[in-house]
Amino acid sequence: MTKTKEVISPKKVAFPRYAEYNAPIRYLLENGVGVKCVLPPRLTHRSLEIGAKYSPDFVCTPFKILLGNMIEAIEAGADTLVMVYGLCKLGYYGELQEQILRDLGFDFDFVNLTEYNTGKIKDLFKAAKYLNPKAKFRKVVKALLEAVKMAEYIDAVTAEYYKSCGFETEKGSYKKAFETFIADMYAANTKDEIELAYTKVKQAFAGIPTDKPVQPLRVGIVGEFYTAMDQFSNFDVELKLAEMGVEIHRWMNVSNMFIHYPGEKNLNVRVKEYCTYQMGPTSTANIRSAKEYAEQRFDGVIHIKSANCTPEIDVMPVLQNISADYKVPVLYLTYDAQTSDVGLMTRLEAFYDMISMRKKVMH
Amino acid sequence: MKQAYLGIDVGSISTKGVIIDDGNNILSSEYIWTEGAPIDAVKRLVGLLEKQFDKREYKIVSTGTTGSARKLVGAILGATMVKNEITAHAVGTTAFYPDVRTILEIGGQDSKIILVENGVAVDYAMNTLCAAGTGAFLSSQAKRLGIEIEDIGDIALRSEHPASIAARCTVFAESDLVHKIQMGYQKEDIIAGVCNAVVANYLNNVGKGKRIVSPVVFQGGVSKNRGVVAAFEKALGCKVTVDPNGHLMGAIGAAILAKNSSIRKDFDFAVEDMDFRIREAACGKCSNNCEIICVYRDGKLIDSWGNRCERGSVNIP
Repeated sequence: MTKTKEVISPKKVAFPRYAEYNAPIRYLLENGVGVKCVLPPRLTHRSLEIGAKYSPDFVCTPFKILLGNMIEAIEAGADTLVMVYGLCKLGYYGELQEQILRDLGFDFDFVNLTEYNTGKIKDLFKAAKYLNPKAKFRKVVKALLEAVKMAEYIDAVTAEYYKSCGFETEKGSYKKAFETFIADMYAANTKDEIELAYTKVKQAFAGIPTDKPVQPLRVGIVGEFYTAMDQFSNFDVELKLAEMGVEIHRWMNVSNMFIHYPGEKNLNVRVKEYCTYQMGPTSTANIRSAKEYAEQRFDGVIHIKSANCTPEIDVMPVLQNISADYKVPVLYLTYDAQTSDVGLMTRLEAFYDMISMRKKVMH
Repeated sequence: MKQAYLGIDVGSISTKGVIIDDGNNILSSEYIWTEGAPIDAVKRLVGLLEKQFDKREYKIVSTGTTGSARKLVGAILGATMVKNEITAHAVGTTAFYPDVRTILEIGGQDSKIILVENGVAVDYAMNTLCAAGTGAFLSSQAKRLGIEIEDIGDIALRSEHPASIAARCTVFAESDLVHKIQMGYQKEDIIAGVCNAVVANYLNNVGKGKRIVSPVVFQGGVSKNRGVVAAFEKALGCKVTVDPNGHLMGAIGAAILAKNSSIRKDFDFAVEDMDFRIREAACGKCSNNCEIICVYRDGKLIDSWGNRCERGSVNIP
């Protein structure tokens, strides 16, 4: 828990949940900016239902989920909401969401990071100053660096989790260790606690007995930044497929996109036979990942997006070309406000059957 | 006693069943309407299959189910194999057409395309958010025109100048169709236009970006419509094969999959006289409110599913 003496601002700050990155965001806000965080409840159908009710129909699903979760955050006692910015329509979302919430009569303070985003950290610091006038620049930067480390660990552990959990001999072992790790990260307040949680999960993972074939089925996941990474939004498609006995790879995550990002030019060079221009915030990265999976002879690629995600719709024809050139099957999944995973299971099972039968014939 | 295998495909519109022997020969087969009651349909189907089946010579040693009600029906029949319809169709078709490269399938509510190389599926697509260009669209338009769905194909083939009908969306197609009716177009020209629209819609949606290579096999209920077959041949510029048992291919695939798996469990025709009830319960342990489906046989719980996590699991006694 937070050392209360360091919290100067009386604000109760919340942000809509974002995949497994709630821990680093909380860490930055509580230990850097010095405000109390209110974590909204876990995403459920209710988040989506109330979000969809007050959202424009044709907006993408993440907008609806974020809006619903903001309402749940206010219900949970938050008085200040923080909204992130992004390079697609996401950049406008904060403004629209604030207006919708105000029209609904909610009373809250809103920090829309889009308004502070000039590309300079100095300007983003103004948002921290707004949340807590006594916030110290050095302290915020220090906490930010530690939060970034945390995100890197979360990404490394998530990658190992989905790569290996399909081959555990005792079902649920990986999931249990993973969930403990996420909880530990959420509770961590110092650099040492972050390191300790990471060491702990590494040991836990190493101790899980697995039975993995020499050449397991490998599937690469590409797609839209929110839906491809958020378990609730995609019905935990990675775990579902992994449990059939598949190694899951996903390059797309926060640390690869923001910390280790090779740069648009560098990425584009590697896919120049497939596309000349950047088509959206994650399109070049997705095309590059799909091409790499194909070159490494993966058994399949899955493309994930929410309905009405324009940049990812543009990526699809390019993936079809990669699919034809490398003879790698690509499954396209579109998520909307549906509540049942039955249709998804049908497609996933069929995809699994197809790639496993194909592998048997090829070997 | 020789071994036999039962395969059942319960779709939104029709319920199909076959019993095959070791050589994939059909011993009995039946095709009936689901009529919104999959359990009753399956009980009826089992009764009909039993009549054609020689119990003194054969014994059913494993059972496969497929189609959108595969799980429910699998629980009721004690199936040894419950498989999605995409795999079932691919397996069934490649057993009879080992050289096939493209399988087109249009059913009552869904449509899919499966690309095959060297006898195994290598790519597939299935319609997602839209049911345009499926059997349901054809049958509602047949009703509007006062034509039996079975007659559509022959009427369409009589047309010399098919009306052009917008294919993007059933709602637009329907208003376009009404417009053509009021303009005084011949019925056969309109029907042929509808068949072309189904094909155009299929190729633009499900078939988008897929390379359709001959030999092409077309199946699913709509493959019985000769007008749609002709429209496909014209659009693709190659022969489109329709197997006389094409409408049973999912069921045949399920039976073959049951045969190929190592699990064996004798099938009992007595299910047709048993009482099955489904109870739906909301879990309520979190705001996901998972719908939990419980299946009872003669008052006894035999299976349940629908929970997202352990908190909603039901113990089967």
